[in-house]
Formats: sequence, structure tokens, C-alpha cells
Amino acid sequence: MKTLIDLAALFIGVVLAFIIQHAMPPMDGMHGAHILLVPLVFFYSAMVLPFPAMLVAAVYTGFLSDLMYLHVVGGKVEIPIGFSILYFMSTGCVANGFKPAMREGNVLPFVLTSALGTSLYLFIQFAVITWQRGDFIWENAIAWRILAPGVMAALIAPLFYWTLSHMDRLLPDGSRKARTIKR
Amino acid sequence: MNKLHIALVVAVLAVVLYLSTLSTAAMQSLQAGFMSIFSPFLRTSSAVQENIGSVGQRLKTLDELEVENRQLLTENNQLRAANSLLRELQAENSRLRLALDFRERASFKLLPAQVISRDASTWWNTIRINRGFEDGVEADQPVLTDAGLVGKITTVSKNEAIVVLITDETCRIGAKIEGTREQGIVSGFRVQEDDAMGLLQMNFLSKNAEITPGQEVMTVGVAHGSFPPGVVIGKVKEFIRRPLDGQAIVEPAVHLASTEDVFVLVGKK
Repeated sequence: MKTLIDLAALFIGVVLAFIIQHAMPPMDGMHGAHILLVPLVFFYSAMVLPFPAMLVAAVYTGFLSDLMYLHVVGGKVEIPIGFSILYFMSTGCVANGFKPAMREGNVLPFVLTSALGTSLYLFIQFAVITWQRGDFIWENAIAWRILAPGVMAALIAPLFYWTLSHMDRLLPDGSRKARTIKR
Repeated sequence: MNKLHIALVVAVLAVVLYLSTLSTAAMQSLQAGFMSIFSPFLRTSSAVQENIGSVGQRLKTLDELEVENRQLLTENNQLRAANSLLRELQAENSRLRLALDFRERASFKLLPAQVISRDASTWWNTIRINRGFEDGVEADQPVLTDAGLVGKITTVSKNEAIVVLITDETCRIGAKIEGTREQGIVSGFRVQEDDAMGLLQMNFLSKNAEITPGQEVMTVGVAHGSFPPGVVIGKVKEFIRRPLDGQAIVEPAVHLASTEDVFVLVGKK
């Protein structure tokens, strides 16, 4: 029952994250880098959900991300649908391994996974674009656009964790009790 | 990892493989469906984004007014506020008049549209407009304003469409330089240090060409291309002679970061 509630929360959370990140303008002081919240929401769920539910979360988050950013010009798709599913599934498998740490209230793996996962997502997107278009180009602005969202994710992650872990205690299945006993 | 987990991973991989082999049209249909569902939410968030973006500008105006109005009476303040509101209305009126006049003058059938969101992704320069296939919009139709070219339509949903801007590297336009015989391909840069500048590059020019800053760049209108001939793209900012060819840096005629009203060229009159 708890897993289903968590999955439902993830489904709503990912949509909300899309809406909020869409509402936030690019950061001009950081060479037009965007704040990405969707990977953050996913990595949190990947670190609290059981493995099969994490896979469902990866498919859902990845599918919506691909549809959101599908770029077609002249009948050519730059990054096909499925790329983000594959990415979230692979990184989700790693993140899922940190479940025990998360259960013990250790927020550090979540912060690191969110930061690295966000930047890696953008880096792979950039690598695919470069491969598709040819001509390797590297500028400061590219580094900013890849790293700054990761840093922002690292800053937001503790607050996100704190908020969600407090909300989690309101659930009716005694998750708070279970957590207290473990400690 | 037990057998069930491995089976699930294989199942997800099969889904990924299936999705990635879908045709471009099928992917666009999926995206159009997604846009139709999410459009109301994204429009709301775009309105919020617009407000966030204009906060700085508003604060600046408030500061200026504060300094300016220190020695004025409250009545004066009220009058100034009313005046400023009227000026805004007048500016809007002039803008719409210009747009209407442009629509009347144009020999093409132009469909007015409004920008509902911009800059939603890190690597692509796109905007979304409030017109879709219900209004007659189709993929590859050019989007422009009275000042010049904006981009072209890529994905179309019922009431919304995605426009790839001319500042995107993937939007390639056959162009010529006014007063010369030089023709080349205009496209955006992959990433720019300052996106607000939104400069373009015009490649494949002759390295011996006599090109000077300020010359106008316009579409050449190739057969079966998306863009009609003679639409202004921008002005040459700089001409760079390279070992094999020349490259012009072009400043777009349209200020893409702030454009609100555009037209979709849906056919000839």
C-alpha cells in the first residue's frame, strides 16, 4: 500500500516538477543554465521505492522527459524517445542501492546522486547532440549549463529531503514508527 | 538482483527499444498529445515565468520613480501612474497597429499568434505559440514578425505549436546578403555565452566577398524550402575571412528574447 502511495506521489511530483521548472527562467548569471527538478524528484523516489517500483518511476519520468524535450527539425529527431527512460533506469539502479542509507536518514547519497545525476543527464544530452550534429564544440557556457543545474540540485536536495521525510511521517502505515525503531 | 528484477529490466529495455524505433511522425504525434494534455499547466507556468522575469525591471522602475518623486505631492504621483498606464496602452496600440498593417501589406496569408512560452530546454532554442492544427498550422511553416524572420514550426498539436528559432543550430536557412551576390546558410550557434544576444552565423561565403557590417541578410527562398524569398533575417555584424571561406556573424532583425506577437505563414493570399 505504501509503495502505491509513493508511486502516486511520484506521478504527481514529476508533473509538478515539470511545471515549476518550466516556470523558472534560465539563469542569466550562469550562462543560461536551467534549474532541473525532475531528476531530483526521480532520484528521491529511486532511493525510497522498491526495485520494481523504481523501474516504473524510471519509465514514467523518462517518457515524460523525452516528450517534453523532443526536438524535431526537418523530419529528424535529435534524441529519440527512450533515451531518458534508459538513463533514469541505469542511474536509478545505482541510486536504489543507497536505499539503506536513505532509510537511516543519511541525506548525503541523495544530495550527491541528485547533483551528479542532473549534470550527467545534461552531459549525455549534449554528447548525443554533438554526435548527431558533428563538430565538437566546447565553451565555458556549455560547462556552466551542465554543472550549474547539478550544483543547484545539490543545494535544493536537502530541503527537498527534509520536506518529503516530514510529509512521509503523515502516512497512515506507521512508517515513522518503523524508522524510529531502526534508529 | 533476483530473476524477477532481471526480467523487469529486460522488459523496460524492450519498451525503450520499441519507443526509440518509432517513426518521427509517431514521436511527433505522441508529443502533440502530451502538449495537448499539459498545455494548460505549462501556460500557467509561463505566465509565472513572465512575472518572475519582469520583477527586476519593475523594481528598477519603482526605484527610479521613488527618486524622481521625492519632492512631488501625492496628486502628482497619481497623475504619473495614470500617465504611465496610458503610455503603455499607447505603445501596445502602436505595436498592434504595426502588426495589423504588416498583415494587410503582406502578400502571404498570415495567421497571428502569441508566444506562450520560451526557453524551456537547455540545448534547444524554441518557443511555443497558441496556434495549432485547428487553426491551419502545419510543420515547417515559417514564423515571422513585421521586423523579420523568427523561425519555423516543428511540432503541432491541437491548439499549440513548437517553433524552432533561427538562433537554433538545427534551423538552417538559405540566405543572401543585400547588395551582393553572396549566398550562404544561416544558422544559430550550438551554445552562446550570452543567449540574450542571440547571434547567427552565415557560412559558405566567399572569403574574398566585400561584406561590410550593417548589410541586410534575407532569405533566398530555395525550391521546396520552408522559407519564401526576401524575408529579412538580420544585419551583418562582422565578417570573418577564414582560410577556405568567409563567415558572417549576423544580428537577428527580431529581438527573439522579448517577441510576444508573431505570424505564421500559412499560405499565399
